[in-house]
Amino acid sequence: MSAGQTSKVIDKARERHSLVVGVILIVLAVFTAWVFGYGTVGDATFRLAMRGDSFKVGDLVVPAAPYAYVVAAILAYFGARLMMRSGSRRANLILGIGLILFITAFLTWATADHSFSLTGMLKSTIIRALPIAFGGLTGVLCERVAVINIGIEGMLLAGAFSGVVFGSLFGGWAGLAGAAMTGGLLGLILAVLTVTYRMDQIIAGVVINIFVLGLTSYLTSQVLAKEAFRHLNDAPVFRAIDIPYLSDFPIIGPLFFQHNLFVYAAFAMVAIATYYLFHTRTGLRARAVGEHPRAADTLGINVFRIRYIQVTVAGMVAGFGGAWFTLGSVGRFDENMTSGRGFIGLAAMIFGRWHPVGALAAALVFGFADSVQQKMALLQTPIPSEFLAMAPYVATIIVVAGLVGRARPPAADGKPYVKE
Amino acid sequence: MKYGMLYGALTALPLIFASATAQAQDFKACQVTDTGGIDDKGFNETAWKGAERAGEALGAEVKFLESQAETDYQPNIGSFIDEGCDVIVTVGFLLGDATATAAAANPDVDFTIVDFAYSPTIDNVIGQVFNTQEAAFLAGYLAAGMSETGTVGTFGGINIPPVTVFMDGFVWGVEWYNAARSASVQVLGWDPDSQEGLFTNNFESLDDGRTFAQNLFDENADIVMPVAGPVGLGAAALADELGTDQLKIIGVDADQFFTDPEKQHVYLTSVLKRMDATVFNAIELSQSGNFEGGVIVGTLANDGVGLAPFHDFDSAVPARLSGEIAALQNGIINGSIVPGQ
Repeated sequence: MSAGQTSKVIDKARERHSLVVGVILIVLAVFTAWVFGYGTVGDATFRLAMRGDSFKVGDLVVPAAPYAYVVAAILAYFGARLMMRSGSRRANLILGIGLILFITAFLTWATADHSFSLTGMLKSTIIRALPIAFGGLTGVLCERVAVINIGIEGMLLAGAFSGVVFGSLFGGWAGLAGAAMTGGLLGLILAVLTVTYRMDQIIAGVVINIFVLGLTSYLTSQVLAKEAFRHLNDAPVFRAIDIPYLSDFPIIGPLFFQHNLFVYAAFAMVAIATYYLFHTRTGLRARAVGEHPRAADTLGINVFRIRYIQVTVAGMVAGFGGAWFTLGSVGRFDENMTSGRGFIGLAAMIFGRWHPVGALAAALVFGFADSVQQKMALLQTPIPSEFLAMAPYVATIIVVAGLVGRARPPAADGKPYVKE
Repeated sequence: MKYGMLYGALTALPLIFASATAQAQDFKACQVTDTGGIDDKGFNETAWKGAERAGEALGAEVKFLESQAETDYQPNIGSFIDEGCDVIVTVGFLLGDATATAAAANPDVDFTIVDFAYSPTIDNVIGQVFNTQEAAFLAGYLAAGMSETGTVGTFGGINIPPVTVFMDGFVWGVEWYNAARSASVQVLGWDPDSQEGLFTNNFESLDDGRTFAQNLFDENADIVMPVAGPVGLGAAALADELGTDQLKIIGVDADQFFTDPEKQHVYLTSVLKRMDATVFNAIELSQSGNFEGGVIVGTLANDGVGLAPFHDFDSAVPARLSGEIAALQNGIINGSIVPGQ
C-alpha cells in the first residue's frame, strides 16, 4: 500500500468517526433540551464555601431550564458542524467537552430547587480516587516490565493491615514503613514466582489475593478481636495538613491544599513515576524489557534484575496505598476492607493506557461518578438508587470506550522471559 | 458497588473456628455470620454474644463460620449440617433464602434466623424480627433536639428492611420533634415515603463510612446515624477527627460506647437491637426440646430493642429533652404512640 492510499484510509476512518461523534452530540442535545430543560423550574444552588472556611465565597446559582437550553444549543452547534465538516481532527476533544457540558446540565437539572456543596463533592472525588490511583500506579509499574499483577488487591489489603498494626505499636510513620515493606515483600514474592519460576502470572496474583485475605481475616477475628490485643487495631490517623497560604484560597484551598499526606503523596508518586518511565535512561530500559526483553537482553540490560526491582517497588507503592485505608482514613482494620478497589485500580491502569497520569485520570473519573452518585442520593432525584450505584462503572466504561479508544499493552506483557 | 462479589468468587474460603467451651456437651449450637465479620462491633458480634452466653449458661458447644461473601451462605450452613449441629443460627436478612432451603431439606435440624420472618412460618425455623423503628424513633427525636445546625443525617448499608427500619424510625422521630416543638429540623439520607436514600451498598469498606459521613457533614449535618455494621466505624473516625462539637454519631445494634471503646466519646447514644437475647432464647428452646417454628418479635416493651444511655453526653442533653424522650418511650410501650402513624 502506498503512502497516499494509507492516508486515504485514515481520512475515511476519521470521517466516519467525526460523523459518529456528531450524531452522538445531536442526540445529547435533544436529550438535554427535552429532559433537563423542558418543564424544569427553579434555580440550582451549588455551595462553594465549605464549613469552616476562613472567608466564605457566595453560592453559584444557576437557573436550571435556561442553562439546559444553552448547553443543548452548544451541543447541537458542534454536532452539526462535525457532521458537515467531517474529518475534523478534534472530534474526540469536542466529544470530551460535550460530555462535560452534558454532565453539568444533568447536575443542574437534578439540583433544581435544591442545593449541595460542590466543593465538597469535588474534594470527595479526589479522596475516592485515591486507593484506585495507588492500585493503578502499581499495575503500571509492573506491566511496563511485562509482569501482570492481579495481586494488587491483596497488596493493598496487606498494606492496610500491617499499617494499622505497626501504626498502633510505634506510631503513624512506622505504620507507613511497615505497610510499604509488607507490600514490597509481596511484590518480591510475585517476582520470584513469575520471573524466576515462570509461574502463570494470573495464578500467582490470585494466590497472593487469597493468601492475604485469609491471613488478615484470621488474624483480625482471632487475634485483634481479643481484648488483650485490641490496642493493636487502633492506629493514629494522619490528619489533614493545610498548605500555608494556598489552603486559604476559597474553593481551590479546600479542594487541593487541605488533604492528608496520602493525597499529596499520590500526586507526587504519579509525577515521579511518569518522569522515571519516560524521561530517564533506566525508565527507557524498563520499558524495553516490557516490550522486547530479548532485544533488551542483547543490548546488555539485565532483564531479570529490572523486573525484580520494579515489581518489588510497585509492591511497596501498593503497600503504601493500602495504608491509606487505615492510617489515612479510619484508623482501624476490618476484614476485606479494601473490598475490590485493587481490581478497579487494575481497570484504571488499562483505561489509562498503561500510563501513570492516565491511571490517575481514570481513577478520578471513577471517583467523580462515585461522589455525584452520593449527592444524587441525597437530593432525592427520580433515579432509583440502584441505578445511581451503577453510575461510577457506567461512566468509566463510557469514557474509556468513547474517548480513550484502543489501548495497547506492552508487547511482552504477561510473558515470562527465558534466557537462551 | 458490590466489588466484593468478584473477590468472593475467587476466595470462597470460609474460615472455621471452634470456640470449645470447658464443659463441651453433645448439644451443638452453630452460627453462620453475614459478611462484615464476627468482630464487627455490632450486628454479627451481638448475635454471637447470645450464642456465647448459651455456651456458658447452657453448656452447649458453640461454633461460628464467617461468610466472606454471599456465595458462602449455603456452603457454610451445609458444613454445619454435616457436622451434626443441633441448632443453626443464621445472622441476617440476606441469609433468608439459604436458611429456608436448608431447613426444608433438614427437618430434624432446628434453625433460627435473625431479621427474617417467614410467612407462612416453617416448622423448624424461628424467625427473629425487631420493631427497631420504636427505638430509632427515640434516637431521631434526640438527634433533632441536639442538632445545632438544624440538619441531621443517616445512611445505610444495603436497602433492605432490617436496615431501613432504623432509618424509618429515625426520620419519624425527627418529624415528631418538628411537630411537637414547631421546629424545622431536616433529615438527610432517607425518605420513608419513596423508600430511597443514601446507601454504601456494602457492609465492609470502612472508608465508605467516613466518606458518606463527610458527605452529610458537608451538607450541614452535625449528627449522623450510620446503619451499616462496621462501615459505621468509619463515620466514628471522622467524628473523632473533626471533634464532637462538629459531628456526633448515633450507634446501632449494640451500645457502641462499649463495643468501640477507642472512639466511645463520639457516640451520642446507640439504637439497641438485642439479638443476643433472642438468639439465646432460641438456642435454649432448641436444647430443652420446646422448639416450635414461628416468630419472636423484639419491641421496646419486651426490651428487645431500646435506646442506650447518653454516657459522655449525659450532661449535654437538656433535662426537658430527656424527659420528653422518656415520655415518648412510655407512650410507645403503652401503645398510645405508634411511630410512623
